Amino acid sequence: MARYGMVIDLKRCVGCNACTVACKAENGTPPGIFFTKVLEQVAGQYPIVKKKYVPVLCNHCLNAPCVRVCPSGATHKREDGIVLVDYNKCIGCKACVVACPYKNRELMPEGKLKEGHFKGYLTPFEQVKYKKFQEGVVVKCTFCSERVDQGLEPSCVNTCPAEARVFGDLHDPESKVSRLIRQRGGIQPMSEANTDPSVYYIE
Amino acid sequence: MAKAATSPATGDRWVRSACKMCLHGCGIRVRVQDGVIVKIEGDPDNLNNRGKICPKGHTGIMRHYDPNRIKSPVRRTNPNRGPGVDPGWEPISWDEALDIVGKRLKKIRQEDPRKLLVAINDFQRIHLWGWGAAFGTGHYFTTTGQFCGAAYHPINGIIDGSFASVNDYEYCNYWIQMGGGDGFSSHLHVAGSIKRMADARVDRGMKLVAVDPRMASYCAKADEWIPILPGTDRAFILGMVYVILYELNRYDAEFLKKHTNGPYLIAPDGRLFRHPESKKPMVWDGVDNRAKEYDDPTIKDFTLEGYYKVNGTEVRPGFQVIKDTLKDHTPEKMSKVCDVPAETMRRIAREFVEAARIGSTVMIEGKQYPYRPAAINFYRGAIGHCEGTHDHAAIKLMNMLVGNIDVPGGHLGVGLDHRLLLIEPGPDGMLKPQPHILHPMVPFTCPPNTLQMMEFFPIGLDPAHLVAHNILNPDEWGFDFKPEAALIYHANPLKNINGYDKVLEVFKMLDFIVAIDILPNESTEWADVILPDHSYLESYMMTLCEPPVITGHTLRQPVVEPMYDTRDAHDILTEISERCGCLDEFNGLLNFTMFLKPEHHLKPGRKYTVLECLDRMAKSIYGPGQDLKWFMKNNNAVRHIKPGEMYLPWEGMRISLYHEYFLQVADDLEEKFRAAGKEWDTSSYLPVPTWNDNHPLHRLPREYDLYAINFKAEAVLNHHENTTIPWVNELVSNIPIHKGVLINTRTAREKGIKTGDRISIESPFGRVEGIARVIEEIHPRVIGISNAITRWTMHPVERKMNTHFNRLLPASLEFTDRVSGHQETAVKVRISKI
Repeated sequence: MARYGMVIDLKRCVGCNACTVACKAENGTPPGIFFTKVLEQVAGQYPIVKKKYVPVLCNHCLNAPCVRVCPSGATHKREDGIVLVDYNKCIGCKACVVACPYKNRELMPEGKLKEGHFKGYLTPFEQVKYKKFQEGVVVKCTFCSERVDQGLEPSCVNTCPAEARVFGDLHDPESKVSRLIRQRGGIQPMSEANTDPSVYYIE
Repeated sequence: MAKAATSPATGDRWVRSACKMCLHGCGIRVRVQDGVIVKIEGDPDNLNNRGKICPKGHTGIMRHYDPNRIKSPVRRTNPNRGPGVDPGWEPISWDEALDIVGKRLKKIRQEDPRKLLVAINDFQRIHLWGWGAAFGTGHYFTTTGQFCGAAYHPINGIIDGSFASVNDYEYCNYWIQMGGGDGFSSHLHVAGSIKRMADARVDRGMKLVAVDPRMASYCAKADEWIPILPGTDRAFILGMVYVILYELNRYDAEFLKKHTNGPYLIAPDGRLFRHPESKKPMVWDGVDNRAKEYDDPTIKDFTLEGYYKVNGTEVRPGFQVIKDTLKDHTPEKMSKVCDVPAETMRRIAREFVEAARIGSTVMIEGKQYPYRPAAINFYRGAIGHCEGTHDHAAIKLMNMLVGNIDVPGGHLGVGLDHRLLLIEPGPDGMLKPQPHILHPMVPFTCPPNTLQMMEFFPIGLDPAHLVAHNILNPDEWGFDFKPEAALIYHANPLKNINGYDKVLEVFKMLDFIVAIDILPNESTEWADVILPDHSYLESYMMTLCEPPVITGHTLRQPVVEPMYDTRDAHDILTEISERCGCLDEFNGLLNFTMFLKPEHHLKPGRKYTVLECLDRMAKSIYGPGQDLKWFMKNNNAVRHIKPGEMYLPWEGMRISLYHEYFLQVADDLEEKFRAAGKEWDTSSYLPVPTWNDNHPLHRLPREYDLYAINFKAEAVLNHHENTTIPWVNELVSNIPIHKGVLINTRTAREKGIKTGDRISIESPFGRVEGIARVIEEIHPRVIGISNAITRWTMHPVERKMNTHFNRLLPASLEFTDRVSGHQETAVKVRISKI
């Protein structure tokens, strides 16, 4: 069975945020809710300064604390490793939000689906997209599971102009993700949390 | 407002089209579900961007569905106009709106067409830019060209017949980037170029050196960031040129001898030394030790250096003149100007020359080319200054010294349009200079007819920042007319032209403004009538602009029916032209600007729809088999530029190393001014770029202790109109550099300023306020203002931070490049906590 994962090449990433917006477009998340974003980290003092762009998203951990703590069984892991939230089961208790060491989950607050990007007006696009969501439940990146089920890449991977994001099967030693992790030393975020993320970074 | 037209339910489909969220037109495919646009992706079958699009490309959905779009023609009901004043828009019919506009413009045209100001910024429908000329007015009341390339495009055209230029992504190994976002955030086809750049950096290990006052994204990704003071890039370059010429003594002599006018002998007056009878330029044959005509077949060696006496005249090769002219431009001296250590200049110059592999060759598709995998790439930040021509010329000079112009690995000319590298033989064995790629030269008249005085910039590009000053001070140059109306089409002169106070006065003076746009902005809020254009997801266009590696048109086509009672801007201008009596002239203009072949020419006396025009354009460019229908079926005719088109396209003609051409232009201009009894400073028409200690920017009073720069070179802000789009807005609201005025930690500490403080920013030309954002990654003597904090439009999504950078800039002849017309885009300021 496949285990889906992503490799993010921090050397290729230019911090353009095409992924951030492609995600908003694919998932139609309401204002202020991002399933992925690009962090900007600055270190050093002028003139010796380093600036790093670090895309972050749900890590779809193998040993996922969110799955463990979910009291209703809403947060679950598919056989292919994708961690999803079943909105019909989610009770909005936010135990998973607290448990996620990466802070990549958030509650869709009450009223959020009426707010609209144009304040009080829902575009035809938003009207279509918001049908998938519910208020009072926890939301996060789904690895674009619907796309993946159709054999497509997640939206962020599809658009990435730098091809910094690579998606594939971590269980297949010949997949591009496995090769990149092997050849360039892929690092899982916060390995000390023992969550075994499916997202790897290479530099 | 008119009711929204309903879109038919059409199931689930993908429509191929072209993006218009910047000017470059990446291939896109748009998913439409039951009539609703739900996704825009890059078209995997378009070589331009190979399935990728930038963040702005995605945001097109939110722009299209913006409820603030202009839904039908509207007329102002509130007679009071001003920033923040509700115009009280009232919907009217197209007939009524066009009649109001047509009647008003017809009267102006009959009286004096110069009383109409025209501001057109629709970058993809470039064929409409010249509408004013059809009407009879030549004013350019918008900064097209000024914030990108007055000092860019004409100089590219003069050097190698190109419109733009970029380093060779495929072969370059050592890439110096200065003040531009190619391959990262902006300029030529961002999405496609990010991939090309990432491949070069990561897969091929290309070294990237970034030179910028602020750590832009390209600097963050570079192997080395070299902070520099604004407007001093030329000093940095010339310091390195000195190292190459005087310390390393390593340059591509073969290239300079064979492909440039470097060996042409120069007389003491700086002009070419010509044969007394044939008038041909002379060169020195170092083997036969005598001067010969440049095309003498017996020449054994084209000497580049030395001092000679020919028929009693002291002469030197152009290369020697350059060397002599720059003999005092030592890294130490230049370092004091640009604040880059002299040792850094020495090291970079050495690395650059070594990486250029002078003398090496490469075989590409069976042809041997010089291989020079080191090049300097640049854009507005480096040359958008009041001596921009010299800034540009200096960078081209350093590139040329290693022989990298238009060769594999080097610095490549890029055409504006398909096939539009203008390669024609000029006089004296040279490639013909092509400064007029955007519009034909405006012939000299004094007083001028155009308020931007294009008549006085024979090789420049519309210095629109002079328009307002000349309207308010007509006597200075003898303008004998007063503008009373403006046509603003996808433009925002109030926001984009320097010298806001003057532009505001002009807006107050105008008694009729018609705007064509899809959304209101700072300028269209002043309009009397707005005529709404289709969005780019509702309209047609054959798109193509400055393709770096790929060429050929992509069809923009409607992915949905128009949502509102809108029309294509092309058709709107046709209607206006008919009503105000310039339809024949408009048709004539389109024959030229759409490259129509005679058999497809538009005839006088008839209105043509945009579709008819695009069909004729397609057939003219691609032949009868590739008409508009073909494009509707196949979407694009995009292909790789062939090596023979890209590399040494001008082989056999020499390109300009020593710019005697500038002296010729200056001579001609001086003569015309003499005849007109007026004076004009032509001292900047120099054959060799030098540092000018009297550079106006750096001579501003000392109390203005910091430099201020503006930037939009981050992909989400690339090119234009952004922050009224919610996805852009919420994104930039989360990114520190777009949250306020960027100040270096050290400087902020000295001035007692902390992040979040409200500060005053004052230049000799204007004052704005902003929120301080203290960061490390900016030069301590520079503050940076993101384009994301500059607007004040009434649009409800806009953040209205109103730190309007342009208000700080000068807008006068003193701060204008007399050669290119480029305005100064940096300024000096003093800041204080409020």
